Amino acid sequence: MIITQDLSKHYREVVALDGLYLEIHPGEIFGLLGPNGAGKTTTIKILTTLARPTRGRAFLQDYDVVRQPLPVKKLIGVCPQEINLDKELSAYENLWIYGRLYRVPGLHQRIKELLEFGDLRDRASHLVKNFSGGMQRRLLILRALLSRPQVLFLDEPTVGLDPQVRRQLWSLIQQLKQEGITIVLTTHYIEEAEMLCDRVGILNRGRLIALDTPAAIVARLGGYVVEATENGKREYHLVKDKAEAYSCAQTENCEVIIRQVNLEDVFIQLTGERLSR
Amino acid sequence: MNWFPIFYREILLFQRRLLRLGYVVSALFAPLLYLLAFGLGLGKRVAIPGTSYLDYLLPGLIAMSSMTNAYTWVANGLTVGRLHFRTFQVYVQAPVTATDIVMGELLAGVARGLFASLILLGLGLLLGSRLQLNLMFVLALILNCALFAALGVIVGMRSRSHEDTATFTNFLILPMAFFCGTFFPVNEMPWIVQVIINCLPLTHANHLLRFPAWTLANLDSLIVLSAYALGCIVLGIVIIRRYSE
Repeated sequence: MIITQDLSKHYREVVALDGLYLEIHPGEIFGLLGPNGAGKTTTIKILTTLARPTRGRAFLQDYDVVRQPLPVKKLIGVCPQEINLDKELSAYENLWIYGRLYRVPGLHQRIKELLEFGDLRDRASHLVKNFSGGMQRRLLILRALLSRPQVLFLDEPTVGLDPQVRRQLWSLIQQLKQEGITIVLTTHYIEEAEMLCDRVGILNRGRLIALDTPAAIVARLGGYVVEATENGKREYHLVKDKAEAYSCAQTENCEVIIRQVNLEDVFIQLTGERLSR
Repeated sequence: MNWFPIFYREILLFQRRLLRLGYVVSALFAPLLYLLAFGLGLGKRVAIPGTSYLDYLLPGLIAMSSMTNAYTWVANGLTVGRLHFRTFQVYVQAPVTATDIVMGELLAGVARGLFASLILLGLGLLLGSRLQLNLMFVLALILNCALFAALGVIVGMRSRSHEDTATFTNFLILPMAFFCGTFFPVNEMPWIVQVIINCLPLTHANHLLRFPAWTLANLDSLIVLSAYALGCIVLGIVIIRRYSE
């Protein structure tokens, strides 16, 4: 579905993306995980024709994103990190304009369907500026779905939202997967990646440092973490199983937490940094 | 061609802003002020051969107002939409061409320029001004709006901040408003200044709106305006086609 070969993007001396090789399969939810500045948004920008790569190539269903941008644009829906809706316009007007850009057939009916699906039917004629953050984010996703895209790009879809709204959006994203849409999402929320993604690619400073299912990535590291905190300083010990975790905890002479390994531990192990730096 | 949704979005936004007092004041206050201060004040002391000062001033103010309204809203809209609200990126990621984007923005700019011109025209007629309203007048007015809306596209796409747009306005649009024959005839200026002024498009728009006849001299002005408009449109299309973040 999506293939990138040696994809790189430089902004003068800054290397935003450095030789990315990736293959995303049809119908999967693929997560790009990494801290701010890791190259997630740059990857999305290139794949959605917003940025040209400095080196390398990217294909979406055999179409080259640089040389054949128009067929690529017809296949994709984009939900950017920032809420770039027209806030002076109503929800319906926002969707109508977007639908006309994509020449969506039966536009009025499609808008009605989507507003129903996103639980915004009663708000169709309301100005977007009066919507809550969660409603705006939902409308942004609905807008990306208008053209019935085969690939949906969600760049940090739940950033800045409270946990309840975040869970609502996760459920919406899972429903979309059921409809067979390939979803590429970026996030720096561990639980989001673990909950939603079939596979994740971990990016750090523009380079792909791990690529697999969340479970497989975590399994490589071990089963449990013993987190010891002494005088505000935290130490991590990775162990294979619970028995080893208990014996490790007994050697510590301070407050100890035993928990299962997650993607954040993988990231710390691979880079020495936390995801939310 | 799929320029209509871009044009329609701009018109919807324009319509919403139109209902706010702030917009009406900012868009129409300056030309109105010039019309009253120069037309009714200074106008009594200025002698223009063959016509009254109000009849001389009004076409100039219409040219100036159509220029600033067509240009400013497109340039500011694109700058803010691209750098701040990131609504411009929606166009780039949609299956529309650079030509569609430029045409949508340009036609919306023309609509705004014409709207401001119509208000001035109405006011001028109320004050007793006599204008030659014919096909040439309308053609020149639309060309002037299109040219400066296209210039707005270029400036809106090249500005790296809102200040950049303001700088360009101060160094090109404002001097044109004052030197291209809006308030006084250019033939009383030093010859070298006249040469420069004659290269600027607003001079030709002023000339065509004052003497809207199908003459050979006017054809020259029409060609100059058309060439500027075409050049700006092509450059705008090239810039948008090459757009990359």
